[in-house]
Amino acid sequence: MKRLKTLSNSPNKQTLIVFLLISIAIFFIVSLNTGVTHLSLINGLNDWLHSTRSIDSLILYEIRLPRTLLAIIIGTSLGMSGAALQGMLRNPLAEPGVIGVSASAALGAVIVFYFGLSSIFPLALPLGGITGALLAVILLHLLAGKNSSILTLILAGVAISSLSAALTALALNLAPNPFASLEIFFWLMGSLSDRSFLHVWLILPTTLIGWWLMLSVRRGLDALSLGEDTATSMGVNVQSLNKRIILGVALSVGAAVSVSGGIGFIGLIVPHLLRPYVQHKPGRLLIVSGLAGALLLLLADIAVRLLPTQQELKIGVLTALIGAPFFLHLLLKSRREWAL
Amino acid sequence: MLSVKEINLTLSTTAVLDNVSIAFEKGKVTGLIGPNGAGKSTLLRVLANLQTVDSGAVTFTGQAIQSIHPLGYAKKVTYLPQTAVCHWPLTVEQLVSLGRHPHQTNDNVSEEDIAAIAQAIEETDISHLIGRTVNTLSGGERARVMLARALATDADVLLADEPIVALDPRHQIDVMALLQTLASKGKTIIVVLHELHLAMRYCDNLVLLNNGQTIAEGSPLEVITQTNLKDVYKVDAIFGSHQHTPWVLPWVNKKGENT
Repeated sequence: MKRLKTLSNSPNKQTLIVFLLISIAIFFIVSLNTGVTHLSLINGLNDWLHSTRSIDSLILYEIRLPRTLLAIIIGTSLGMSGAALQGMLRNPLAEPGVIGVSASAALGAVIVFYFGLSSIFPLALPLGGITGALLAVILLHLLAGKNSSILTLILAGVAISSLSAALTALALNLAPNPFASLEIFFWLMGSLSDRSFLHVWLILPTTLIGWWLMLSVRRGLDALSLGEDTATSMGVNVQSLNKRIILGVALSVGAAVSVSGGIGFIGLIVPHLLRPYVQHKPGRLLIVSGLAGALLLLLADIAVRLLPTQQELKIGVLTALIGAPFFLHLLLKSRREWAL
Repeated sequence: MLSVKEINLTLSTTAVLDNVSIAFEKGKVTGLIGPNGAGKSTLLRVLANLQTVDSGAVTFTGQAIQSIHPLGYAKKVTYLPQTAVCHWPLTVEQLVSLGRHPHQTNDNVSEEDIAAIAQAIEETDISHLIGRTVNTLSGGERARVMLARALATDADVLLADEPIVALDPRHQIDVMALLQTLASKGKTIIVVLHELHLAMRYCDNLVLLNNGQTIAEGSPLEVITQTNLKDVYKVDAIFGSHQHTPWVLPWVNKKGENT
């Protein structure tokens, strides 16, 4: 059957992956070149490779390279987590931010800030973020249940986000001094500026484990399109799949938020835009969503540096400004399209 | 092949399956009939290893099904649930291809997969639907696509829960004839049905369940009797024959009284 040949190869997906990789490579270089200070990338790279201390090499290694790498790592985590959660909950509106995971991860990190634990133990910040995210995903699962409707899912997400926001506000309210409050407040808006390689190394191990956990069950997500009973009858261990995704999202998003603060909506926008290119199969969406998430966050991080604002716009503010209207659009569209 | 022996299951203080023992024959269509709540779908879920029983044994080729690896079992026994759920707007061919999931270890679709998918699409008469997304299909079309998904697995046993309930009369007959053909090729078909006339015509064996108990078991003429239908369904039965094929019509007078 000639018309079935499209099943055996997915040219769209391969082309998309190549396109995304090339785009990431291009904007990786653009990101290294973008900033307040003009930088000769070749000189900086040359000096860095020869261990010569120069302004260019310092800016490159201490500021721009970690920032760019973090944009790629965090963007990948957010994009992939969104796709994984949507596949697991069989709901196009699931996203770490919308379901309260980001807010809870932020709360975890704020608690670490509040007690000054990060200065004593550097790993405390990602651990705080991961713990917050993990608790949120477990709570969501308990509140919304397995076959959650869109309404239940969003309500559960709102409840978790509200609780986390309230506890974060409490921490701000009771902060020992106004400077600590201001520090937490700015951190919550989400930013990749003033991050170093320490941050990259801090989040990389948990992030990689999180990605691996999510990718390890991606084929099961396709079967899950037909519901839990059918997927189970097809040999998928649904409980193990759910656990791996919950843990994967918590590890990667928790680590991401603990370093960048709150960056929302990447996980919502990216899977939605790419779904038609992978023939709506949720498993195939993970890798491309990860790559596109990296590209989108990289672009957003370049944009906040180029926008002519008095202070650098926080990246979390920018993604929310783009993402919130998009979320509303999706909500309206989903009422018509996805109800089978 | 597949058998249950003295199985019992109680859900929320209700005995859903009460000492049920059935040995399903290879190469036969076995119909599970009975009124709503009789335990038919639960029995099918037990056979699909989706529901564990409180006591008794469920075996496949002599081995307890719980001891068989889920993927291995999925290759041998395929399950078609009652409701046709698909949470994403997959195309018809993508959905049918999911039936090959137990056989695949990565995203690659082999020639063998393509052949099985193509055959399932042809057998269920849905080739004209290729390219359409499932959310644009009618209930009957979707039911046939779901059946094609189950058939694409090319398993030895098909467990189908009311596969013809949403179909028009012609497609109901076509699907039942297809199940009969599959059985003649050596497949074991276990199907939950409410359409007694089709159960009578196309099933080799019938099991009549009521309140979780086996009321009758045997050939259609042995099971679909005036007495059994009156006891279990509270209906009369009008029997007839057309072209040497017996048929049955459940009958209740308009006032609700039996004749």
